[in-house]
Amino acid sequence: MPSSSSLSAPRRALVTGASRGIGAAIARCLARDGLDVVINCRSQVERAEALAADLRVTGRRVTVKPFDVTDATATRAALDELLAEGPIDVLVNNAGVVRDAPFPAMKREAWTSVLSATLDGFFNVTQPLVMPMVTRRWGRIVNISSISGVTGNRGQVNYAAAKAGLIGATKALSLEVARRNVTVNAVAPGLVDTEMLEGAPVDELLKLVPARRLGTPEEVAELVAFLASDRAAYVTGQALGVSGGLG
Amino acid sequence: MNQELESRVKELIVTALELDDVRPDDIDAEAPLFGGGLGLDSIDALELAAAVDRTFHVKLTSDDGDTRAAFRSVRALSALIAARGGGL
Repeated sequence: MPSSSSLSAPRRALVTGASRGIGAAIARCLARDGLDVVINCRSQVERAEALAADLRVTGRRVTVKPFDVTDATATRAALDELLAEGPIDVLVNNAGVVRDAPFPAMKREAWTSVLSATLDGFFNVTQPLVMPMVTRRWGRIVNISSISGVTGNRGQVNYAAAKAGLIGATKALSLEVARRNVTVNAVAPGLVDTEMLEGAPVDELLKLVPARRLGTPEEVAELVAFLASDRAAYVTGQALGVSGGLG
Repeated sequence: MNQELESRVKELIVTALELDDVRPDDIDAEAPLFGGGLGLDSIDALELAAAVDRTFHVKLTSDDGDTRAAFRSVRALSALIAARGGGL
């Protein structure tokens, strides 16, 4: 469903960490739904460019904007450039990293890098984009959390803390902006078939999943696309699982 | 007191904050802007500060004691705008 009438410009979405995995699937779904899409990535610029070229067949304007969401200065500069071209109506905070280790053996760097990517990244990208959404009286912010942040997961004290923190930020921010038709929601994927699962004991983990299979990036992206649309106008401050019943 | 400036400030509050059910004349110049009958919140304060900057070229920063004082009422806000050379 196109999210804007033929009289107005297409809505524009920024998806962070969108060169691959769930982020790429989200970019794909949003372009399909008629949004212009800005694909952010940190290092995988070639993959992001290939995805952008692929998505341009939808007729939408799709661009690549590489920046590291943990770098406040670089992020601010990139966002200023994007805002100079036009508003960002939809923000999907998807960028994230895993650095799993049993907690007693977890290095401080594994803790800080995971929290920074998720929480500093959320602040650096979201804070400059919120007030323009408020002023325009329309906006959608979707934060990609994780079932790990809801239930906890062995080896992921850092990741669970970051993703639970993101749910708290989602709920608090939703309260501030709800009156201005800006919604803020979190999506919490379970075990999804992406490169992030490399090295994980998938067969063991699947025993915990009631659906007994991995999810696909597309299954997560469909919920994000719904939350980004007009149809989800009354859904805000929620953390919704896409996990085959896990958590 | 500068009645004309106060009227412009009331008008600005209604338009900038899209208070559809409030008429500028209904706003009491001495009533509290926030936590009072208008039901304004912290995001409205940011929007109002931006609107005051656009309209009167007076900057109100959130960590400024003058801003807190100015946001007490239409009268206080108008006085600060006048004192800073806005509203001419």
